[in-house]
Amino acid sequence: MRKIEAKNICKKFDDLEVLKSIDMTVDEGEVVAIIGPSGGGKSTFLRCLNKLETINGGTIIIDGETLVDTDDKGNVRYAENASQIACRMGMVFQQFNLFPHMTVLENLMEAPVHVQKRNPAEVQVEAEALLQKVGLLDKRDQYPLRLSGGQQQRVAIARALCMKPDIMLFDEPTSSLDPELTGEVLKTMRNLAEDHMTMVVVTHEMGFAREVATKVLFMADGYIQEQGVPEEIFERPQNERLQTFLKSILK
Amino acid sequence: MDYIISIIPQMLMGTVDTLRLFFITIVLAIPLGILLAFCRVSSFAALRKIVAAYVYVLRGTPLMLQLLFVYFGLPFIPVIGIRLDDFPAAVLAFVLNYGAYFCEIFRAGIQAIPRGQYEAAKTLGMNYVQTMRRIILPQVFKIILPPVSNETITLVKDTSLIYVLAMNDLLRTTRNLVQRDFNIMPFVVAAVFYLVMSMILTYGFNKLEKHFARWD
Repeated sequence: MRKIEAKNICKKFDDLEVLKSIDMTVDEGEVVAIIGPSGGGKSTFLRCLNKLETINGGTIIIDGETLVDTDDKGNVRYAENASQIACRMGMVFQQFNLFPHMTVLENLMEAPVHVQKRNPAEVQVEAEALLQKVGLLDKRDQYPLRLSGGQQQRVAIARALCMKPDIMLFDEPTSSLDPELTGEVLKTMRNLAEDHMTMVVVTHEMGFAREVATKVLFMADGYIQEQGVPEEIFERPQNERLQTFLKSILK
Repeated sequence: MDYIISIIPQMLMGTVDTLRLFFITIVLAIPLGILLAFCRVSSFAALRKIVAAYVYVLRGTPLMLQLLFVYFGLPFIPVIGIRLDDFPAAVLAFVLNYGAYFCEIFRAGIQAIPRGQYEAAKTLGMNYVQTMRRIILPQVFKIILPPVSNETITLVKDTSLIYVLAMNDLLRTTRNLVQRDFNIMPFVVAAVFYLVMSMILTYGFNKLEKHFARWD
């Protein structure tokens, strides 16, 4: 089943065209890694998917529902329930963005209880199970700033999962971590992939993209320059930009 | 010593007026400041400009002038001109003035919260009111505690300005005693009274800061 369909996405910041025309699809259970040089539009594209950025043209369909559409005259129209559609996708940020004034458990329970209006006792059971899964149940009553970066990011993943999303978006989840802490976060994401979560991951971790992703997109200069299964992208890159990029990364 | 004990009841009476004005101002000016701060960061340019002008005028003129204007000047204004008693006039002037200062403090606090907090709240489906009430404001309160503590201590001393409206607050009571008895001891006692009030506030704000520091 098709989970995300993006067609002809354009995004401008003032006069700067960050996304020129992006087409991509994500099927259920796929793990899509988006790689590419800095400033190539990877994060911007991810943020367009859940409406953190509004697009200047194109169509995004989430789970069969139109989030945003563009008519023949170029008018961009967001669905009335765009916010609800957007928050079916969990988001993990580079800077974690945990709520510092709430404990780990409160961070997880906040939105399920106050936005989804679910029963607090049930949410707590689920939240604790998720913390167990990411290996942080013993930190449930700690405040986020007391945790290491890797632990904070795992809490952030658990917080997003506590909303029971169909799709998880990751925006460079390990880029602000010390190298020795990236492993624990990547392992958590790997477990999630093994549970068949649909994932879109903007990453600089080529090892993760190669081993876990089912599809890799190479984005540069506002276009998807090349896409394919990891072996094609990493072993037999066709696009010249991609070849240069991989060389510079592997150096 | 006997003299000091003899004047204390009167000075306590004056302190009651001082404290009444202080508490009513705090209770009204802080919510007003929060409200104005939200206008000041809103997406409506007209609203932002009106509040900016308000803050400019109220911060740019002496509180004493505002106090005199509300009490003596307001009755002469056509249509809205009303004559207020001295205490309501004092409350109105103090709330309008301190609301402007608190507005700027809260605005700085709101703008100090990183974008990521809003984005996280948004991806979790929280609406504007939920985001502000549950995520942003609790963090703002922590940031603004030191400047609010500062303003609050200033307010304790600013209440003494109401002596120009011939209200018997702590300062005016003190002055009356000095003139009546040809003794400067009441000045010393008044200083101690103000210091005690400031000390209690400082202690309270330190406690609050410690409370908010638990998540650092």
